[in-house]
Amino acid sequence: MHKFLLTLLAVTLAGCLDSEERVIEEKSQGLVYCAEANPVSFNPQVTTTGSTIDIIANQLYDRLISIDPVTAEFQSELATDWRVSKDGKSVTFTLRQNVPFHTTAYFTPTRTFNADDVIFTFSRLFDVYNPYHFVGDASYPYFQSVGVDQLIRKIVRVSDYQVRFELFNAESSFLANMATDFAVVLSAEYAMKRKAAEQEGLFDQYPVGTGPYIYREYRRDNLVRFYRNPDYWKHDVALEQLVYDITPNGTARIAKLLTKECDLAAHPSSAQLSILAQREDINIEKETNLNVGYWAFNTERPPFDDIRVRKALAHAIDTDKIMQAVYYGNGTRAESMLPPTSWAFDAQTSMPLFDPDLAKSLLAEAGLKDGFDMNIWAMPVSRIYNPNARKMAELMQSDLRKIGVNVNIVEYEWNTFIQRIGEHRHDSVLLGWAADTPDPDNFFSPLLSCSATFSGKNPANWCNPKFDLLLAQALDTTDILMRKKYYADVQSLIMDELPLLPIAHGLRFQASSADVEGITLGPFGAISLANARKK
Amino acid sequence: MILDYILRRLGLLLFMLLMLSIFTFSLAYLFPGDPLSNLSGVPSNNFSQNTQLEDKYLYNSNYFTQYIAFLGRVFQGDWGLSFASGDNVFSHILDLLPATLELSVYALIVSIFIGVPAGILGSAYYNRWPDKLINSTTIVGYSMPVFWLALLLIMIFSLKLGWFPMSGRMGLLYEIPPSTGFMLIDIALAGFPYKGMAFTDALHHLTLPTIVLAMYPTTVLVRFTRESMLKIMDQNFIKTARAKGLNRRQLILHHALRNALLPVIKKIGLQFSTLITLAMITEVIFSWPGIGRWLIDSIYQRDFPAIQGGLMAVSLFVILATIVTELLYSLFDPLSRNQAHGKV
Amino acid sequence: MAKFKVFSEESNKSPLARFWRKFKNNHPALVGLWVFIAFALLAASAPFLAPYGVNQQHSDALLIPPSWHEMGDVRFILGTDDLGRDVLSRLMNGATYTFGLSVVAALLTTIIGVLVGTFAGISRGIRSSFLNHLLDITLSIPSLLLAIIIIAVLGPGLMNTVWAIILALLPQFIHSIRNLIVEELSKDYITAFKLDGASNWHIISRGIFPNIYEHIVVIFTMALSTAILDISALGFLKLGAQPPTTEWGAILAENLGLIYLAPWTVALPGVLLFLAVLSTNLVGDGLRQVLKERKAD
Repeated sequence: MHKFLLTLLAVTLAGCLDSEERVIEEKSQGLVYCAEANPVSFNPQVTTTGSTIDIIANQLYDRLISIDPVTAEFQSELATDWRVSKDGKSVTFTLRQNVPFHTTAYFTPTRTFNADDVIFTFSRLFDVYNPYHFVGDASYPYFQSVGVDQLIRKIVRVSDYQVRFELFNAESSFLANMATDFAVVLSAEYAMKRKAAEQEGLFDQYPVGTGPYIYREYRRDNLVRFYRNPDYWKHDVALEQLVYDITPNGTARIAKLLTKECDLAAHPSSAQLSILAQREDINIEKETNLNVGYWAFNTERPPFDDIRVRKALAHAIDTDKIMQAVYYGNGTRAESMLPPTSWAFDAQTSMPLFDPDLAKSLLAEAGLKDGFDMNIWAMPVSRIYNPNARKMAELMQSDLRKIGVNVNIVEYEWNTFIQRIGEHRHDSVLLGWAADTPDPDNFFSPLLSCSATFSGKNPANWCNPKFDLLLAQALDTTDILMRKKYYADVQSLIMDELPLLPIAHGLRFQASSADVEGITLGPFGAISLANARKK
Repeated sequence: MILDYILRRLGLLLFMLLMLSIFTFSLAYLFPGDPLSNLSGVPSNNFSQNTQLEDKYLYNSNYFTQYIAFLGRVFQGDWGLSFASGDNVFSHILDLLPATLELSVYALIVSIFIGVPAGILGSAYYNRWPDKLINSTTIVGYSMPVFWLALLLIMIFSLKLGWFPMSGRMGLLYEIPPSTGFMLIDIALAGFPYKGMAFTDALHHLTLPTIVLAMYPTTVLVRFTRESMLKIMDQNFIKTARAKGLNRRQLILHHALRNALLPVIKKIGLQFSTLITLAMITEVIFSWPGIGRWLIDSIYQRDFPAIQGGLMAVSLFVILATIVTELLYSLFDPLSRNQAHGKV
Repeated sequence: MAKFKVFSEESNKSPLARFWRKFKNNHPALVGLWVFIAFALLAASAPFLAPYGVNQQHSDALLIPPSWHEMGDVRFILGTDDLGRDVLSRLMNGATYTFGLSVVAALLTTIIGVLVGTFAGISRGIRSSFLNHLLDITLSIPSLLLAIIIIAVLGPGLMNTVWAIILALLPQFIHSIRNLIVEELSKDYITAFKLDGASNWHIISRGIFPNIYEHIVVIFTMALSTAILDISALGFLKLGAQPPTTEWGAILAENLGLIYLAPWTVALPGVLLFLAVLSTNLVGDGLRQVLKERKAD
């Protein structure tokens, strides 16, 4: 026994001394990212969960076009060129040639990217004859909530490297939607291979894309491992390995950053920022971001179907206290649904102010003088728009007790939470929205439209024809002044009806080890690690 | 005689397994929600699927037939699907159990190597300063809540000093193919990749959780060994030996130890079940990807098939460990076999 | 030694008084007892003593460190948490939950355990054998695991935790009581009592209980320390008391996110927990020591 141990020790030590330098170098070419939740899928088409999109969208896939975060102009990605017809009803993309798909343990591509892949990818959204349309219950939440699936009439293959999208009507946000993190291009050849093997269900779980990293393994509650794509078309990828350490607890993410177990931590809680900022070995990046944290009421469920009750509840909340205790000053108080940095922003004069007496009289008017019991669902992860929903819920609980409303706080694991909110099982929920495009429509259609209600993305369970009409009118025109006016009406309609109460807009943070560089953090969309490297 | 004993124990084992399986089966009915989806892990939302499931699970037959079908599935490894992941619960357990066992086994080894000698030392210096020191350390040790100890160690050794990592089984950048599920063995089987760095890294990751987990069983073993030694030292055959002029050292090493350690062996076996339980808390704090963390997550998420399967696996292990210990003990100590009958 | 005492006044004192004399000489146990009594008083009176309400939020005083710190505020002796709630008031009320409920749980366990244990002790034959096998099964499953199983069925919550802990502690308790009874039953004085024609009830109430109640107290302290550890562990795992309930384990879990910013909010509930368990264990150890010494006499 002793002998064995000694030998083992000797072997280990010898191994260490032998080539320590080389090994350390190998390890340092990998990056560990502490992510806040398990990915729900590996296909961005089928989810809008930000934590999932952050992991998969920009790492595994490419889009046809993207939006430059500074100039807000469209940029070429897999499409080298795009033309919109005069009537705005058809869009032709010219595709990049010689872009290889990933070679993985489960798939070896025989051809490079071409028009078939684009047609397969986007016809899946609306075409019932696409063999994958019904895989995963035909749920494409983002596209369905903004109506892209109802918009595309057909996709025409012009040549091997040219496709034309024909639309039912001209919609000004179509290109912006094509530039979101959800509009990635999948491999048609891989899809057919899975179909031949009758494994359609695995298609969204084992990804094949064109992006900078290649999928290697996923262990639930533990890690996601990507390797470098050696043939990436855009540029060389510096990192040999990219590992996502699934760490739902925000404090644990910070702690791991401090112990160097992570190089990068998603959404460090704002409470810890002052501590991190003091450390020289840790960089904090701050960026304004298009997002909103809100408190949504289930407007179909009494007593929340009564506008007076919603108003009363809104007036009972002390937002100043929330800004201090939850955002620690790292956010701006909402003055509308849209953040002030959006071009369509219109400050609302009718924002409910903290006024418990008014709240009480409103409740009395609604016939609920003695108060009632309700629940607040607090999301279990910290996101930009709401760093600590649980704490916010507790603050609101104590505020609401003063007007006689008893609050029960409900929490579930993130993916379960999202799913149950979609089933509208809540009274009210603390959630938020981070924009995918700078287009203001992105704040309204995916969240509060009637189609969002049906696809389960509308947390207020609110369907207002007037609201939908205004949105449609705003999309029908390209005149920026007209659009601005429509969106101003949209914003004031929300304040009048109050399906949800906008609370704050958070700043986007990223905490990383000082030796990591090249991380792109934009005002919208998911994080990209394509250019990340270690010094 | 010994055969008779073994048969009796096996009978008891079977009886316990029977009770366990009945309990687990009835959980599907005890849990809120639809028993059929609790058993299968398939949420009931469409009729044709439901009918299919009802047929498979013999849902419309009486409870006994259902129970027999349940047993059949348990043996086939069909433990239903987890609500949360949609995967087979049994495959989850196969993945996770080794991590928990690995941690528990190391902690048990540590507690034996520290606890037993410390207990002997305490009894050898009965009521003198080493005994008092050991005694007060143990009482502090077993009054300390596990999670609190874990947090303290993390604060000091991970965050302040940076000596040990605070989560996981090894640095995530090392990719070790899982063959047995036991990390150290896997690394050895993979031929110490990354020039042995992976191995030392895994040892580093093991250190804090092992210490935390070992704390409670160690204190139990110290106290038990000490008591057991003192009891033996008080017996007549020791007094006789002392009267014959043997010195303390001889007394302890040649006469007392052998007799005193027998019950200790049994106690060690019983620690295993405590370890598995404490491992749950330890796993949660150290993000150890074991069955305990998974089970507790499943409780949060109301993932009933997972809770059912997890409880069954953990309890099965605890029962097996207990029975094996008793069998081993009886091999060493023939006297204990007389207690095979239902009395204590 | 006592056998050679020349004067006999001392032995005329009641057994309880002699017990106390011995216990008193064990200083750690005595200190433990005082701390224990202090906790018990606190648990009973915390809602009246606490300076502020448990959920009273002072929005002007978030994360104030304890008053001895230079940034501290005398209004909040142990500081405030991130919602501006007074830490001292919360911890005091926590005693009611963690310590108070543990005592209740342990007492209930004692009552049920003594009843069932006695029944098991005097019964014979198949009933006894069956009960023992049942005990064997549950005994091999640790109390915390059993509690987690029960919580998994009942769902998380403080009251469910208390029930779970009672049920989880019972097997061990019954087992110990049963052993005590069986041991006493085999003694000669009981046989003599039996021959005198005493009924089962008489044997138990007059013969056995006066001789084992001290042991029951020892078992009670063990049950109590396990109960405190289990309640707080379940609270910490968010399976027991749910925030904003001020159970110490739950407070600790709730404030874990503040561990760098406000370490006192994590350190203090931990220290209290440790002290509560330690004092209970010290008392238990002291009692056991006395019992052992008396047996040796």
